[in-house]
Amino acid sequence: MPQIKIYQEDEIPSPMRRFWHAFLDNPFAFAGLWTVICFLLLALFGPLIAPYAPEQQDPHALLLAPSWDASGTVEHFLGTDDLGRDIFSRLLHGAHLTFGLALGIVLASLVLGFIIGSISGMMKGLKSSILSHLLDALLSIPSLLMAILVVAVMGPGLENVFWAVGIALTPQFVRAIHQAIHEELQKEYVTAARLDGANQFQIFWYVIMPNIWDTLIIQTTLGISAAILDIAALGFLNLGAQAPSPEWGAMVSQGMDNLLTAPWTVTIPGIAILCCVLSINLVGDGLRSALSPLNN
Amino acid sequence: MARYLLRRMNLFVATSLVLLAVLFIATHHFPVEIRFALTGIHAPTVEQIAQIDRDYRLESNQLGQFIGYLQQRVTGNLGVSATSQQPVIDELAAVLPASFELAIVAAVLALLFGIPLGILASMSKNKITQHTIMTITLTGYSIPVFWLGLTLSLWFGVQLGWLPISGQLNLLYEIDPITGFVLIDTLLSDSPYADSAFIDALQHIILPAVTLAVLPFTVVVRSTRSAIISIMDKTYIKAAEARGLHTSHIVLRHALPNALIPVLKSLGLMLGTFASYAMIVEVIFSWPGVGAWLVSGIYQRDYTVIQGGVLAVALIIIFLSIMIEVLHTAINPLSRKELYAAN
Amino acid sequence: MPLLDIRNLTIELDTPHGRVKALDKVSLTINPAEIHGLVGESGSGRSLLARAILGIPGHNWTIKADRMLWDGHNLLEMSSKQRRNLMGSDIAMIFQDPSSSLDPVIRVGTQLVEAMPENKKLPFWRRNADKKKTARKWLHKVGIKDTQKIMSSYAWELSEGECQKVMIAMAIANQPRLLIADEPTNSMEMDTQAQIFRLLTKLNQLQDLSILLISHELETLSIWCDRLSVMYCGQIMESGPTAEILAHPYHPYTKALLNNIPHHTGQIAHKSIMRTLPGSAPTLQHLPIGCRLGPRCPRAEKKCVIRPNLSHKKNRYFACHFPYQEETCNDDTSASS
Repeated sequence: MPQIKIYQEDEIPSPMRRFWHAFLDNPFAFAGLWTVICFLLLALFGPLIAPYAPEQQDPHALLLAPSWDASGTVEHFLGTDDLGRDIFSRLLHGAHLTFGLALGIVLASLVLGFIIGSISGMMKGLKSSILSHLLDALLSIPSLLMAILVVAVMGPGLENVFWAVGIALTPQFVRAIHQAIHEELQKEYVTAARLDGANQFQIFWYVIMPNIWDTLIIQTTLGISAAILDIAALGFLNLGAQAPSPEWGAMVSQGMDNLLTAPWTVTIPGIAILCCVLSINLVGDGLRSALSPLNN
Repeated sequence: MARYLLRRMNLFVATSLVLLAVLFIATHHFPVEIRFALTGIHAPTVEQIAQIDRDYRLESNQLGQFIGYLQQRVTGNLGVSATSQQPVIDELAAVLPASFELAIVAAVLALLFGIPLGILASMSKNKITQHTIMTITLTGYSIPVFWLGLTLSLWFGVQLGWLPISGQLNLLYEIDPITGFVLIDTLLSDSPYADSAFIDALQHIILPAVTLAVLPFTVVVRSTRSAIISIMDKTYIKAAEARGLHTSHIVLRHALPNALIPVLKSLGLMLGTFASYAMIVEVIFSWPGVGAWLVSGIYQRDYTVIQGGVLAVALIIIFLSIMIEVLHTAINPLSRKELYAAN
Repeated sequence: MPLLDIRNLTIELDTPHGRVKALDKVSLTINPAEIHGLVGESGSGRSLLARAILGIPGHNWTIKADRMLWDGHNLLEMSSKQRRNLMGSDIAMIFQDPSSSLDPVIRVGTQLVEAMPENKKLPFWRRNADKKKTARKWLHKVGIKDTQKIMSSYAWELSEGECQKVMIAMAIANQPRLLIADEPTNSMEMDTQAQIFRLLTKLNQLQDLSILLISHELETLSIWCDRLSVMYCGQIMESGPTAEILAHPYHPYTKALLNNIPHHTGQIAHKSIMRTLPGSAPTLQHLPIGCRLGPRCPRAEKKCVIRPNLSHKKNRYFACHFPYQEETCNDDTSASS
């Protein structure tokens, strides 16, 4: 039987729709989403559309200004650095390294953090408290110090950045998930489900999981932006990606020598990092404010 | 309360133990000979080797070695720096005050400007204004700090030439360290140039402090704003309004004390990132603090310096975050209520 | 002259579902020194009405009214600053949930002192001590003996009843002429409820304080109030002296409410159905046109899709096309008095 419409307008949008509308309501967040999508595409296909190889040196075009400058040429759209390498091509290749690596690290540590966090969150008593103390200790080591330790053990290099940033990020995920689960466990509806005879797994998967998605999403966006900043910072300090690499932080550090004569070699990769992190933070912020009315 | 403090102390000790264990494991994996990694002595004589073996119990099993390591580190023996052959603890004592000075100035700047701006932002009803404020603070939150530092020093240091961009004080001034804080030392100093030295020190600290303050500033603005917005919806604010109190009075007397509690919490969560940023800022502005010292330590593969620096910074952060938690409990009567309920 | 005279107050809320008339042409008259009860289910707009009288509107409200007179002064024409002053001096309000109406991080005593009126005659350095003294005096008046202990504790250390007494002390310290009590005894035990109500009636008798008592319990209100107004879904259904309303309700909704009150006489047959109106109150986005009780009303007819005007009969008002009384049916005459 078709539903009879009694009232003129009785459609109540689903939570998902409401969330999406709230997200669209914030133009900055929406712009951020598009930018993130662009960066994602660049990280995947950037090397294909780059006009030059990242390490190809053009001895006739050293320290060429960007194309909008009077002395710049359109062949080197964003100018060249002191070895005559095209900055635009290096940026595109670097997107693959900086952004792609950040995504990979976050994904890996998210999976690991999710597993540990959900196990520890569902546990009670001494085991849980030992684990949370351990995490507190790991969390209190700033990510850069953690990276320095890893570099001291394994030596600098892009692969080790993966471990350094991953080890720094995982405790944050574990802790966020642990706390979210613990908070949900205190609530009445979990008790109600338990009284209905749900076992630990059912409580975790069917009762708690749907309520901690938002924590997970927000933590992921925070993690990605932190990872990008960390990778770039390590590259800048010469502890991560090494000299010829087009990683954005390393590019800034390579441009430092010519800061006074060719400021664009520092400015342009910096702006790329800023845009990337900002767009992710905008999306994360939009998600958070769109999610918050749903929770209340 | 005493029991609570005892439990926090306990937490501090436990966390520090874990930290030392992590360092102990890392030390054993450094790609150098273990005795060198532990003490930093280049070519130890036979007696020195015997002494090291005894101190660090290298003959015994892993647990015994860890206990030996603990004994040495807890008694303040951090070894000697491999490059300068000076005791690490002395070098540490020399660089810590500079870092504290920078961090304190940056934190004061952030709080001084962040809290009022957060309140103003929360008062705005206009959606566009709100989005704009949020986006600007988010930009501040997203700027890579090394790039910000470079750009600021390029503009204000080089192109405009207003401010010095490296070091703590012009080398022309000779100020005897008393407290280690240059700003205070220059004031206390009885040298005839004390006043101009103070101004010089002030000029030196502006750029690094501003660069470092950007992150806590944005965090403070955002958390103050969101806390005040959520508190203004509470019944007690409505009740205060119904009593006919002024809006400014309500915000300052009732909303702000309540809002500062979550702000304090978010500050505590930010400590680690803040420390990372401080290290980068020190490197960029050649600030003679822990960060620059530690980074130069890693460039020179100075493993004792790395251990000492990591240990010191992490301990400070653990201590501060526990202090913030205690402070949080002390100023927040609501969390004391939970304490009563728990005990 | 009535203390508060409201005619056809309409409040519209901007919701995601468009603009909704939360209050629809509500009229309310409060005389000096009377206790006026306002009955209505939760969600019927009682709290909106209270906040509109007080002048603390929400950000998405649109308020329209034919007349809003406070002691002969037009409330609608006042600036927000004047309204604030009026709120502080002449109108006071106490809320449901008293423990959350007190700031949790400030001691109760500080908040109490803050609410006390300033004695302008004293030099300023003695004013604070004087305020403290007045605060203690008022606490005594609302029936708190250990003032020192109450004043030095935090809101969460007190019971709901104590908190409400503190709130009342704060509200009446400025000697207002109208006290709006929005469900003052919500979630309290019976004896605490009785204490609070007794306190309010005592204040009413001793200080000539008018009280607008808002509640969903007709039974309680009928004990304490001189006059009653019955609200349903943002419309006033009936208004008049309590005794008369209880004896002869005109409006089907009032009658239904009275019928709902269980009589503890033990004469209800075993397993007999309790008498209630069919259906449930509509949500804000699904309000029916005309008389909002229409879909649930036992006496509804086609005419009820047109909103009935408030009719006037002696000192009673009701809004119904088909009231419970055969002889007169002057529902077409307008309600103006």
